[in-house]
Amino acid sequence: MFRRILYNLLLPLCVLLAAHSFASAQGLRARQLGEVTALGGRPMKEIGVQKTTFDSLALKENVALSMADVLAYNSSVFVKNHGRATLSTVAFRGTSPSHTQVTWNGMRINSPMLGMTDFSTIPAFFIDNAALLHGTSSVTETGGGLGGLVKLGTTSDVAPGINLQYVQGVGSYRTFDEFMRFSYGTDRWSLSTRAVYSYSPNDYTYTNHDKKENIYDDAHNIVGQYHPREKNRSGAYRDFHLLQEAYYTAPRAGRFGVNAWLTLSNRELPLLTTDYGTTLGFENRQRENTLRTVTSWDRRWRRTALALKTGYVHTWMAYDYRREVVAGNWADMTRSRSRVNTLFALGEGSWNPWKRWYFTANLSAHQHFVRSQDKNVIQAAGNREILGYDCSRMELSSALSAKWQPTEALGLSTVLRQEMFGNRTAPLIPALFADFKALETTNGPIPMALMLKGSVSRNHRFPTLNDLYFLPGGNPDLKNEEGFTYDLGSSLTAGSTLHGPWSINLSANWFSSRINNWIIWLPTTKGFFSPRNVKRVHAYGVELKGNLAWRPARHWMLDLNGSFSFTPSINRGDPASPADRSVGKQLPYVPRRSASLNGHLTWRRWGFMYKWAYYSERYTMTSNDHTLTGHLPPYYMSNIALDRTLTFRHLDLQLKLAINNLFNEDYLSILSRPMPGLNFELFLSLTPKFL
Amino acid sequence: MSRMQTVKLLAALAVALTLGGCMKWDYDEPEQFGARGAGLFITNEGNFQYGNATLSYYDPTTNTVENEVFYRANGMKLGDVAHSMTIRGNVGWLVVNNSHVVFAIDTDTFREIGRIEGFPSPRYIHFISDTKAYVTQLWSNLIYIVNPATFSITGTIEVPGMAEANGSTEQMVSYGKYLFVNCWSYQNRLLKIDTETDSVVEQLTLGLQPSALAMDCNQKLWTVTDGGYEDSPQGTESPSLYRIDPERFAVEKQFRFRKGDKPSELQLNAAGDTLYWISRHIWRMPVESQRLPVRPFLPERKTKYYGLTIDPWTSEVYVADAIDYRQPGLIYRYTPQGELITSFYVGITPGSFAWKPRQQ
Repeated sequence: MFRRILYNLLLPLCVLLAAHSFASAQGLRARQLGEVTALGGRPMKEIGVQKTTFDSLALKENVALSMADVLAYNSSVFVKNHGRATLSTVAFRGTSPSHTQVTWNGMRINSPMLGMTDFSTIPAFFIDNAALLHGTSSVTETGGGLGGLVKLGTTSDVAPGINLQYVQGVGSYRTFDEFMRFSYGTDRWSLSTRAVYSYSPNDYTYTNHDKKENIYDDAHNIVGQYHPREKNRSGAYRDFHLLQEAYYTAPRAGRFGVNAWLTLSNRELPLLTTDYGTTLGFENRQRENTLRTVTSWDRRWRRTALALKTGYVHTWMAYDYRREVVAGNWADMTRSRSRVNTLFALGEGSWNPWKRWYFTANLSAHQHFVRSQDKNVIQAAGNREILGYDCSRMELSSALSAKWQPTEALGLSTVLRQEMFGNRTAPLIPALFADFKALETTNGPIPMALMLKGSVSRNHRFPTLNDLYFLPGGNPDLKNEEGFTYDLGSSLTAGSTLHGPWSINLSANWFSSRINNWIIWLPTTKGFFSPRNVKRVHAYGVELKGNLAWRPARHWMLDLNGSFSFTPSINRGDPASPADRSVGKQLPYVPRRSASLNGHLTWRRWGFMYKWAYYSERYTMTSNDHTLTGHLPPYYMSNIALDRTLTFRHLDLQLKLAINNLFNEDYLSILSRPMPGLNFELFLSLTPKFL
Repeated sequence: MSRMQTVKLLAALAVALTLGGCMKWDYDEPEQFGARGAGLFITNEGNFQYGNATLSYYDPTTNTVENEVFYRANGMKLGDVAHSMTIRGNVGWLVVNNSHVVFAIDTDTFREIGRIEGFPSPRYIHFISDTKAYVTQLWSNLIYIVNPATFSITGTIEVPGMAEANGSTEQMVSYGKYLFVNCWSYQNRLLKIDTETDSVVEQLTLGLQPSALAMDCNQKLWTVTDGGYEDSPQGTESPSLYRIDPERFAVEKQFRFRKGDKPSELQLNAAGDTLYWISRHIWRMPVESQRLPVRPFLPERKTKYYGLTIDPWTSEVYVADAIDYRQPGLIYRYTPQGELITSFYVGITPGSFAWKPRQQ
């Protein structure tokens, strides 16, 4: 068994090295070329892949944005938001947040304990490249992405010479956001330092529809009631991020790089709208110190490319939920501490031996060392006991892929992935992709291309360390989640802003995904939760995307991006009992429809941005009962921003005003978590020009 | 750009802005209720940290149920984790654990008549008199003393030798001027409190985690432990059912369950001569029995039995099935002989019950 696993894991690397040796033997190593691309202008490595790429405008719109904000307004994935600057998770296609894999510069950054990623702690200004790989397409990069993959990265590209940018944001609720970037570029060297600091008491005011204040008479009879205007209590945050990067390109030895990202986060967690406790003598706080480092080497030859990466992640997290019972005497309801150390290594390469063939292989390893401690339990005898676990797990993943273009129009691709987490293995993951260029006109008045795509894959996800070992409740007998996903889609490109006034991109995609052994945490009669494999889920639907770039006149440019998803995510499991009414129903907190739209209009040095997001009604119960507490109404969110750039001899200056929640909507992303109303932030950006 | 083009562009923007729209909320005006006569309140815990606890009301005579009655009668939510309810006179006292509040409602109209705030983690309320009640707490070594007449906290009782970090006091039973309290989470003791001095006068060590308390027709106190859980720092053991002489404050008899059993929700029938509890199935045993029953009274049928109550007048058995804990639970109503009479859906995770007396 072990031999077979080892064989499956090491085979790709052997093939890769053999390919490299072959290429070297052909005397092809002298020239450094750009990325190997496919015939007909489309990259072979993306044959049949459903991908959403975010442009720099979306990522660098303003310094206060986290990746959660970027994804909410620029894609149709579901961002579940516990409040402003609090836990924000991302789910594709009706799956759960732990079904979304996240990589940063090739290293998986999902929490090995929880399986998910908090996107509110990823500043968008730290990300240069971001893309979504939907469903089956995630298999090309990693396993476990039953919903998909969010691929984040930075780039070594910096402008030559010394560059400096400083941005100061000042906003509602005494919010301060500061960003600084220094970079230095030469032919061989690329250095970059970025820092972000954000602080806010975050005490926005909202109407609490979940409570009523009583008006009493002298005899303590209630004579009136009203919904109070309350402050968001216990919502302050103070986050600091530092990203240091250095790249060196050696003429004959490839490119070497190092990226180090430090996060120091100290956030309070807001009280529920239904909490009648006071914040005096109360603490609900999460602290996180994380260092992520990646070192890399990559080199390209004429037909071969190789990359090696190593990494290290250290995370210390603390969560305290406590109240002051009497003056100076605190009761810890939760006091958890966790420490995660992860070692990472990745080897990957590609080989393009013939015109119509392209091979890739990769092998990655994540070795996690986790120490998780929950509440200190004080024994009757007075000694202190810790509730928690201390364990390590090696996670190995390898993949081989072959891509073939038998004709100019047709592309076929297959991926085989094998994974092993600890002593658990999963069956081989096969994935098949195909695309077909059904139409291409380049000579007519309007250039046009129509592409058809399809893919199918098996996939699985291993239980997280908390699923297996958390005390109390961890369940070491959990099975892996597994599923099959099918995708069919088409994309149409027409026009060109290079040769005409407009261009348009439209895409439509249908998918169907069946997931078995869905892991869900359920309460037990012991008073705590425990995970179990309980559900079969059928998630299916359509995803539509569109982009219009229009240059109506000189100096004017309009860029419109829209997306829409229809994602029924239906429990197809067996009923837990005859009384169970959840079968055939939409999963709770998964909207059936979501949409986003953003438009950016520029005129000379003025810019105007409008962002809009929509989520349909969400059920809060598995049975989809439409009761008062059983559903959350749909919400629409509108943000706008206006900016003006001023250019001076030694300085570029930009002023920007962002207005969020333009229509001052009362809305909730999840039950009992208030969201802010109309709010503002003003940004000043300074970019000195060094001669 | 021509003026017409500019107008078109601005018109397109205006259309886009109208996408903003308004959200529709269903915070309706409070409903009027008039629930005369006897009835059963069911507190539905909801899900921790979601604030979706609800209150249901069932009329056994007409076999009708009204759900979310607190919300509908008051136009506001009940809160996060409704743990228990106690009725005194025509006032129902709802203990909402993670909202740190106790609501008082009229048992006919379900309208709020007052509230007591300021608890760390309230679990149960027990009345000593019209002007004094105790409220037990989780994660605290204090029992709070309140004045229900003024809706105010008047003092606390500290449990000797109990660390506040994993303190726990639970259900209460009166016996003369004394009050017995079981201590559950990470605890293994029963307290005896003098209600005149508001102090713990004695403690009795039991097995791990006594979770419920009841007084039978012979004035014997019963409690059941759940034995802790596997890998707990406190260890784990076989759960036990204890019969305690309240006069001597000593264990008279201990019935041991098998290790891995999870007994909870100890209840008595109308006559007080038969014990009922949940341990996967529903079990019952005469209080005079010398051994634990070998066959369940109501076997589980893929059910997740979570709450249990016995009609204090008819001895009919009501069992709450939490199903998957994320949809409205189902209440089964059985005759004392175990025949199903009816069933009805309530709210998420129905955990405890309160009987509204027939005569007000």
